Amino acid sequence: MAMGKQEEFVLRTLEEREIRFVRLWFTDVLGFLKSVAVAPAELEGAFAEGIGFDGSAIEGFARVYESDMLAKPDPATFQVLPWRSDVPGTARMFCDILTPDGTPSFADPRNVLKRALARAADMGFTFYTHPEIEFFLFERGAGADGRPVPIDNGGYFDHTPNAVGHDFRRTAITMLESMGISVEFSHHEGAPGQQEIDLRYADALSTADNIMTFRLVVKEVALEQGVHASFMPKPLAEHPGSGMHTHLSLFEGDRNAFFEPGAPYQLSRVARSFIAGLLRHAAEITAVTNQWVNSYKRLSGGGEAPAYVCWGHNNRSALVRVPMYKPAKGQSTRIEFRSPDSSCNPYLAFAVVLAAGLKGIEDGYELPEGAEDDVWALTDSERRALGITPLPSSLSEAIHAMESSELVAQTLGEHVFDFFLRNKRAEWQDYRRQVTAFEIDRYLPVL
Amino acid sequence: MDRWQSAPGRLARLGFGDPEAAARLLAQGSLDEVAHAAAGDAAGGAPGLLDALARTADPDLALRTLARLVEALDDPGELLASLHHPDEPTEGLLAVLGASAALGDHLVRHPQHWRVAAQAPCPAPTAEQLRADLLGAVGAERGLGEPVATAENPADALRVAYRRRLVGLAARDLTGAAGLDEVAAELADLAGAALEASLAVARAELPTGSAPCRLAVVAMGKCGGRELNYVSDVDVVFVAEAPEGVEEAASLATATRLASGLSRVCSASTPEGTLWPVDAALRPEGRAGPLVRTLASHLAYYQRWAKTWEFQALLKARPVAGDLALGQAYARAVAPLVWQAAARENFVTDVHAMRRRVEGHVPVGQAQRQIKLGPGGLRDVEFAVQLLQLVHGRADPALRSPTTLVALAALAAGGYVGRADAAALAEAYRFLRSLEHRLQLHRLRRTHVLPEDPVELRRLGRSLGMRHDPVVELEGAWQRHAREVRRLHEKLFYRPLLHAVARLDAGDVRLSTQAARSRLEALGYLDPAGALRHIEALTAGVSRRAAIQRTLLPVMLGWFADAPDPDEGLLAFRRVSEALGATPWYLRLLRDEGQTAERMARLLASSRFVTDLLLRAPEAVQMLAGDEELTPRPKAALVSEVLTAVRRNDDPVAAAGFVRTMRRRELFRVAAADLLGLLDRDEVGPALAAVTSATLCGALEAAARAVRAERRGSLPTRIAVIGMGRLGGHETGYGSDADVLFVHEPDPGVGEADAADAALAVATELRRLLALPSPEPPLPVDADLRPEGRQGPLVRTLGSYAAYYHRWGEVWERQALLRAEPVAGDAELAHRFVELIDPLRYPAGGLDQAELREVRRIKARVEAERLPRGADPAMHFKLGPGGLADVEWTVQLLQLRHAATVPGLRCTGTLPALRAAAAAGLVTVEDAEVLTEAWRLATRLRNAVVLSRGRTADALPADLRDRRAVALSVGYPPEGTGRIVDDYRRATRRARAVVDRIFYQAPEDR
Repeated sequence: MAMGKQEEFVLRTLEEREIRFVRLWFTDVLGFLKSVAVAPAELEGAFAEGIGFDGSAIEGFARVYESDMLAKPDPATFQVLPWRSDVPGTARMFCDILTPDGTPSFADPRNVLKRALARAADMGFTFYTHPEIEFFLFERGAGADGRPVPIDNGGYFDHTPNAVGHDFRRTAITMLESMGISVEFSHHEGAPGQQEIDLRYADALSTADNIMTFRLVVKEVALEQGVHASFMPKPLAEHPGSGMHTHLSLFEGDRNAFFEPGAPYQLSRVARSFIAGLLRHAAEITAVTNQWVNSYKRLSGGGEAPAYVCWGHNNRSALVRVPMYKPAKGQSTRIEFRSPDSSCNPYLAFAVVLAAGLKGIEDGYELPEGAEDDVWALTDSERRALGITPLPSSLSEAIHAMESSELVAQTLGEHVFDFFLRNKRAEWQDYRRQVTAFEIDRYLPVL
Repeated sequence: MDRWQSAPGRLARLGFGDPEAAARLLAQGSLDEVAHAAAGDAAGGAPGLLDALARTADPDLALRTLARLVEALDDPGELLASLHHPDEPTEGLLAVLGASAALGDHLVRHPQHWRVAAQAPCPAPTAEQLRADLLGAVGAERGLGEPVATAENPADALRVAYRRRLVGLAARDLTGAAGLDEVAAELADLAGAALEASLAVARAELPTGSAPCRLAVVAMGKCGGRELNYVSDVDVVFVAEAPEGVEEAASLATATRLASGLSRVCSASTPEGTLWPVDAALRPEGRAGPLVRTLASHLAYYQRWAKTWEFQALLKARPVAGDLALGQAYARAVAPLVWQAAARENFVTDVHAMRRRVEGHVPVGQAQRQIKLGPGGLRDVEFAVQLLQLVHGRADPALRSPTTLVALAALAAGGYVGRADAAALAEAYRFLRSLEHRLQLHRLRRTHVLPEDPVELRRLGRSLGMRHDPVVELEGAWQRHAREVRRLHEKLFYRPLLHAVARLDAGDVRLSTQAARSRLEALGYLDPAGALRHIEALTAGVSRRAAIQRTLLPVMLGWFADAPDPDEGLLAFRRVSEALGATPWYLRLLRDEGQTAERMARLLASSRFVTDLLLRAPEAVQMLAGDEELTPRPKAALVSEVLTAVRRNDDPVAAAGFVRTMRRRELFRVAAADLLGLLDRDEVGPALAAVTSATLCGALEAAARAVRAERRGSLPTRIAVIGMGRLGGHETGYGSDADVLFVHEPDPGVGEADAADAALAVATELRRLLALPSPEPPLPVDADLRPEGRQGPLVRTLGSYAAYYHRWGEVWERQALLRAEPVAGDAELAHRFVELIDPLRYPAGGLDQAELREVRRIKARVEAERLPRGADPAMHFKLGPGGLADVEWTVQLLQLRHAATVPGLRCTGTLPALRAAAAAGLVTVEDAEVLTEAWRLATRLRNAVVLSRGRTADALPADLRDRRAVALSVGYPPEGTGRIVDDYRRATRRARAVVDRIFYQAPEDR
């Protein structure tokens, strides 16, 4: 039993560190973290057979009559949670979701990503990702006009803002590192209150697990410090939104499959086809990488948010950016995919992104010309002449593009595909019924 | 010198393959003298040396090597002298030279060792002697607790000493002085001694100042079982402890260094070659785990994590080198764990997987000539024995031997396997092992593949004592034994189960009920007590049937266990058997046609539908004997059969009984052929439709005769039955009713009312006859598609149909008529009915806008309303999105709109119409493929559900066990329950997208 060592380690650590509860984590289809707490005594059973729970209570998991499901912890993801409030200790593990006959559930986003990674492995590839996650810190409670107030907006709250930001970063870094998640923090200049963190590159499954952990840690620290952290894609109309630019690379064994010395931008044929795949399927996968009504407010906002399907060398307005090549760093050759936002379901997003790229490799897609200009600055006709199409501009358009996508259906599996579309159509229907502040402001006075 | 010139003929007769070369060799140097002297007069009797050479496995090889050996000796006098009068010891030497090129080379390199070979009948060395010998070779003092090598080149010295012992052993082996068990045990002891000596070498290589440690080498696998081959990986596990007062980490570091040093000494290639690889992969966590563990760490692992197969490996654990006290402590501590394995929760699943591994392990490529892993190979025997040990050894300590043959004997003595079976298996095992030994001995290579080169086969055969025609004899013997193993290893599991409940043959011991139950449970039976009762009922008594079933059941129990529902299969077999009793043909079938029994077992344990049909009339079993019987009968043949039977019979109920018997028999035929994979999927619907049509023909005739009899005169009207729906479309499923319309035509001059009464009486009688309670399954006849539905008259005249359709015919009724096809009754009338409806269903000019809208509206309403409450639409075969109704309505709409101009669309079947639509360019080939795939899959799964569960169902079962059975029956692996759903949803989603486009013409509005 290959996992024996890890499971043994987990059980030993539970005893040594006097852990009273273990939280078994999994993620629903929309990307919300779910947790079942078990006592250490139950864990051996959980390793062997999983812990039963009612799947009908979880978004997208099951219909009522087949709702019995099992959560089976993955011992490789064991971590003691560093929250100060949890004394004695609490630990967490991510789970795989199984049906009662022990087969992997097709509703489990983690399983969706695992299946996509298995396909890559069949082709000889391992998939690495490195996300740059942006989010906002707001004061607790809304401002006088009902809108959120960034913590470092200067002026009326001038007694704490910088101290809060500073302390927040220090605490969060400590917590993340104590959980084995390496990060680089930077204060983002783009918008008041906005932060950016880069997670160290890792295999896509670990990265997705880390993103889920990360979001929780940020929320926890915010709670402790009396501020509100939000991964909402576009909370402030007048400022840039929160994206999750993600660097991608494929490895064949120890070798970076994207690197080819002497090729243009040192990009191998594999890398070029992968980018071509991302571009060709970009519209279909957007509903997954940008899953909320609000996501499209970010994409339409200009600046560094990509709204057009094109790639460019070091072009920050392109959907796919090929970063500057650093000599003698062939192993770090990668591409940056810029549309995802911080509130996507990372398992599903990585799965569809990978599938699109692999499709490009499999079918030998040719990479179109790169874009050298700021695509926002071009006219519609110029973009048309260059063959640059727009990404879906609303959730509705994205749903429509996804509906007819075999690629997304194959990747998500029919169950998740169907649930996701139904859920998103309903969200769009709800949204369409809203009367927005924009309408009130603009129409009420004059109509 | 010239005296050998005439010799080749004689040499050839003696068995030399290349007599010229042999003659040349004999003519050289010292051998000339010996051979000649021994020959005495060339014309005289058998010369001693030549005769002795001729008795070796390969006389040419023996002679060649002997010549080299003589050459290599400084003073060959003694050897030559002994060759003058070849006695038993000398034969040992010659046998080695003739069987092993590798040991021959060793002797040429170390010529003095020839004396070891020439001591053949001397007693076998003890393990202790071997240990002392090899330790001495590396210059280690054996009296010490931890001997350290001092020899200059210890690895070489070890190899030379090891081979010297091997020469002696091979001589005793080849001359028959040592039997197989003895040879295998001595090889294991020799390996143990080599491990001890290697450890001494590794100790000498330790850096000074290394922390002290206790290290035990525990042999596993064949070395542990004292049943080693000549050349094999030697499986070991290392156990270490820190002595009192020594820090554990430092001590374990030393132990790890010793362990890897030991492995290196054994496996390294030196000028004297290599011994064998030491394999420590059986340790906890395999290659990923630490090489050396403490006893406590071993135990913690086994108590918590180990898999069943790991316990199987532990069966053979035996300390052989290093700190024997520690090794013994390990063995004592793990032994109880081995025997608790059977109590573990996943034991049953694991055993199942292990059993599949035994039965299914056929490596590709050389599989056919593999004596170890191939079918009927050594692995089959070993796995079977070990599995039985694990299942029963918990309760019975007598079964706990690590040695295969000893364990097998114990299993027989305890009644766990039959004595005769055990004896036959042991014999086959001994033969295969001897063959393996001889094969490996030649070049001292780790091979298990029987060569194809006749020269090599000849040597092998001769080395096993086959002198007459060694190649043929060897192939024959090998295949016989492999067949025996294949035949037995299944029976080994099941036959003793019979003994548990039956009277015993003399000399056999009963398997206890408890043991029988644990074995059945391990094989996947959910209700072992019930299964035992059935076995008892099937095999009790002295009847011929019981005797045959006693022979057959052991194999059938295995077939049941491989199917989705073993318990159900066994119970059904018992009921079939009881129903057929002592029918002679049944017994003959079972006895003579292995295929019948196997097919019956598979059908009974996987299909309740078939089981139900078979239990109604068990004689249908006969059909399973050959493929010919499992071909669907054409409709015409069935119709003429039933009409003949009905006309012979005045009693309508009895007449209809014949018809229904035919139907039941044909349903069984089609279902069995379908499940056994003898029928193309697209043939199932037409075959079942033919059965239903013929049933209606027969029933109509019976009904008409009944009404005639009642009226005491002929019928005043002609009647035809028109097939509708799936029946009309030749798409009948196992659970389908018969959708029909009844039409009649009064004879000229007959009163309308009288004719209508008579026709109604016939139609009513037909339905009654097919619904009457009876041993035969009923066929519901559904006429709801008639004008005015259930409110309308059951039977109408042709004129009445014409008037109705002319005046009231709604578009959906015309759509339904697309499926109409005559199935029974008056052909001329039916033909006129078709002429009547053709302009309705294939309207010139297609549909107008209002009609088009109406079809779509009705479809949309059906989707919204007809689905049963609480059903999951995605899983509903008929009404779910992309399901049967979606595809059929789409095709039918194309037919309504275009059949007037596209003749190919004028057909009743969904797929033929779809093909015609694609051919005419009305749908793209891709869209047609998508629709076809979804329709076929839904049809197939719906049939599979009916077959598996025995009742109609409109959706994939929600229950996972049922779903698994369905998945298995259509060819998914046991873990395929998730995939079958994903596949079905994908096919239907795609179909739905096409339906949206073609049927609803969904505008791209948004």
